[in-house]
Amino acid sequence: MTTTVEEAAQALREIDLIRHRAAGFQDYQAESGQLLLWGLAYVVGFALTACFRDYLIPIWVVVVLVTIGVGTWMASRTGADGARVAWRYLAVIGTFLLFCLALNIVFWPLTPEQGAMLAPMLLAALYILRGIQLRPRYMVIGLLLGTLCLGGYILLLPVFWPWMTLACGGTLIVSGLWLRAL
Amino acid sequence: MQTPDEIIHQPVRLKVMAAMNTLDAGKWLEFVALRAIVEATDGNLGAHLITLENAGYVLVKKDFAGRKPRTRVCLSAQGRTAFSRYVMALQAILAPLNPDASGFDDNQ
Repeated sequence: MTTTVEEAAQALREIDLIRHRAAGFQDYQAESGQLLLWGLAYVVGFALTACFRDYLIPIWVVVVLVTIGVGTWMASRTGADGARVAWRYLAVIGTFLLFCLALNIVFWPLTPEQGAMLAPMLLAALYILRGIQLRPRYMVIGLLLGTLCLGGYILLLPVFWPWMTLACGGTLIVSGLWLRAL
Repeated sequence: MQTPDEIIHQPVRLKVMAAMNTLDAGKWLEFVALRAIVEATDGNLGAHLITLENAGYVLVKKDFAGRKPRTRVCLSAQGRTAFSRYVMALQAILAPLNPDASGFDDNQ
């Protein structure tokens, strides 16, 4: 049986469509692991901060360093090009941390609550931008994260730290599970 | 006029092969994930996977993840070559109409 030109063109379009869908699936899968990891890190970080306010800086230094270590290991295990992915991951996280540090310097002095809002709000903005450009689920994650964190800062300041445990850490964990589920 | 591989040239099997071809060599994809990507029912996908497995284009492995049964699929080297040839056959059909069609990259 011969294949017509129309059938051939249709088959190539179908291949492109599936390729795009499969890439989205793989992207969501890779992102879900990082969301779960950083969600857990935020839960631990904010919960410990709620309990031991005087140790805020050492708590976050340890939490961030451990999370970067685990995250880099996870990134290095993705595909055949693991080493390059791991370096890119470190560069992205490094840029993110440097930007947060720069904001701290520019707006110093900040209250601990103000300082704690920088990373989640930047993360929310980045996910919204990524969602607009790439895949819609990222926009939902960014909007939810930004709204819950900002809402808590404005309306729930007396219970800010416990709230952020759920609003930031909880949202990231739920988002990770959502990306994993098809 | 060229004849593309008839085993691949079936809508669901084409989707399966296209999806599997996006993975690195030797990488396995879970049945549920593949089902979501190709938008097929369990029975339909299962039947087409048997056809592809019999042709030597995919490998199917059934095991347990903890206590949960799991089916995973992997594109064989023979399947990757066959898919590449299939795409080239499609491009050859279109080539007289579109000189740029030969630039289609089947790996990206």
